[in-house]
Amino acid sequence: MKDLKHLIYFESLLENADNELVKQAQAEGGLAIGYTCFHIPEVILNCGNMFSVRLRAPNTGSIDIATYYMSNYTCEYARALVERAIEGGYQFLDAMIGVDACSMMNRAMEHFEILNINEKPTFFVTHTDMPYKITDYTVDGYVKQMRLRVLDRLSEVYGVDTSDAAIRQAVEEHNEVCRIISEIGEMRKADNPVITGYEFHVLNLVTYTCPKKLILPYLRETLEELKQREPDAKSPFRARVAIVGSEIDDPSLTKLIEGCGALVVSDRYCFGSTPGREVLELKDDEDALTQICRHYMEVSECARYIADEKVMQRRETADRLAREFKAEGIIYEQMKYCDYWGFERALVSHIMHDEYGWPVLSIDRLYNNGNSGQLRTRCQAFVESLEIKRIHKEEGKV
Amino acid sequence: MKYFGGCDVGSTFTKAVIMDETGKMVADTTIRSKINSEQSAIAAMEEVINQVPDLASSKDLEYLIGTGYGRNKVPFADENISEISCHAMGVHITDPSVKAIIDIGGQDVKGISIDTDGTVKNFAMNDKCSAGTGRFFEAMARSFEMDLSDFSKLSLTAKNVIPITAQCTVFAESEVITLVGEGKPMDEIAAGIEMAVAKRCFVMAKKAGATDSITLTGGCAKNDGLKEAIEHVLKLKVVNLKTDPQLMGALGAAEYARQKGLAKK
Repeated sequence: MKDLKHLIYFESLLENADNELVKQAQAEGGLAIGYTCFHIPEVILNCGNMFSVRLRAPNTGSIDIATYYMSNYTCEYARALVERAIEGGYQFLDAMIGVDACSMMNRAMEHFEILNINEKPTFFVTHTDMPYKITDYTVDGYVKQMRLRVLDRLSEVYGVDTSDAAIRQAVEEHNEVCRIISEIGEMRKADNPVITGYEFHVLNLVTYTCPKKLILPYLRETLEELKQREPDAKSPFRARVAIVGSEIDDPSLTKLIEGCGALVVSDRYCFGSTPGREVLELKDDEDALTQICRHYMEVSECARYIADEKVMQRRETADRLAREFKAEGIIYEQMKYCDYWGFERALVSHIMHDEYGWPVLSIDRLYNNGNSGQLRTRCQAFVESLEIKRIHKEEGKV
Repeated sequence: MKYFGGCDVGSTFTKAVIMDETGKMVADTTIRSKINSEQSAIAAMEEVINQVPDLASSKDLEYLIGTGYGRNKVPFADENISEISCHAMGVHITDPSVKAIIDIGGQDVKGISIDTDGTVKNFAMNDKCSAGTGRFFEAMARSFEMDLSDFSKLSLTAKNVIPITAQCTVFAESEVITLVGEGKPMDEIAAGIEMAVAKRCFVMAKKAGATDSITLTGGCAKNDGLKEAIEHVLKLKVVNLKTDPQLMGALGAAEYARQKGLAKK
């Protein structure tokens, strides 16, 4: 396929948290608000002159200093963030919004505060609670957390307009990003898609890490380009896989999997598009913040929720996505020491195989995996087994 | 006669096999890997080509498959296949009754279960750590100032097992040096080392789904002490293969090459 016009530029935007567009937005008076978890609705961080930056720690090497503070048994994403913070990588932030969705990230936020990782006099870290059940009163509690600990703090310190009207305006821009990403994501359902999993991963990541207003023109152009793009006459991939699991903000993992011959067609993981890039439909008869918070709780696929309906929701979503995107197998992945996904992966990788009939590759992984020869061997063996199963099916042996 | 090749470029040894169209292994070699995977593959392929009078170079092979750590560096290879699939196929054509493998290579340990057609049913693999791999045994033999072959028999005479607690290769080596320094019996320390590795193999074998007979492949399959320890912890019979177990990856690659080469026509 012909290279995407902006792919190299998008890749360059992922090399640092304070990328070119972040710097541009700040130079124009924007406030960079960092966050790390799906459970902070990013759209509310895009009111007025604020813009959200979902934090990554690209090109992380040693995380020894963070390990000293946080121990070996903390997830590497949390440790990589603290390491990068200590290195000065998040000095550009104007505020940091934490959520008690997992104890690992809670500890990272504590270290952001204790270690004074940002020297701006107005910089602050705020923490919010996150309920485990979805009921009217827990949604109400969640809304109050977002109002009191996030929006009101931002309004007090920076004078940002966080009114209902301002939130609704932010939703409009957010929705355009979501519409574009969803439309591009749907292209992966084709038998021979015009976009690879790696390209989609890069595209989706820039929408989380760049100011929406500044990335939108590139996204619009890329969507039009993809509508005209001709796929290769014969797909270079030998199998199609869906990924389900914990945090993946490193597109080189997707590249590694695709390098083994498996087209990644679906992305159900933190920083992925399902959920995360669905359009927010707001009604007029209820305040926007409540509707947004309820939506985020309902669509969340995080393994932190252990209520029966959420447990089943995660399995059904994994099965549905794999079927809709014509995957032949599912890769269940987990960041090492992610408590929630460690349990979910260990259990559900068997359930998806035994009860839903999916071939499953189960992997636990480090934060950076691009050069892992052993992971490559596992993925290649999985691709080979999927390919052989398909051949046998075609030959009527199954 | 048509010939087919498999070249398994491992981190410690490179193995090559040539098979004729009937599936008979007509040439094989095992050489120490060089730092450059491509040079290792060239050297191994030269050795097996020289064993077959009808062949002058790798280009004369109908189909050649690379496997192992350096699988994508084999010159003239038609394709590469993971060593997991190749070990399964190699064992399957050697002894179809065996349904599970523990492959202990130079830098990793794998548990593999085999389907009825020789394809992989399930597999598990260790992480980046080298504990329980060939490198681990090399380090342990070095601590004993022995070569690997003598070390592998040492534990067979032990009456007791001195447990080795460290998982890490480096720490285990220092633990062993301490025990040797304390004057503990060498064979009992060796038995502790074999037991530690066997327990690691237990995890891989169970994760892969081994329930019946099992076999060992890779260089460490020749370690008699380890074989005994694995039988003890897994409570399964370890089947001895009639072909060199270190060759299973290359043999499986050659068999895949034979199947694909013949199907190509």
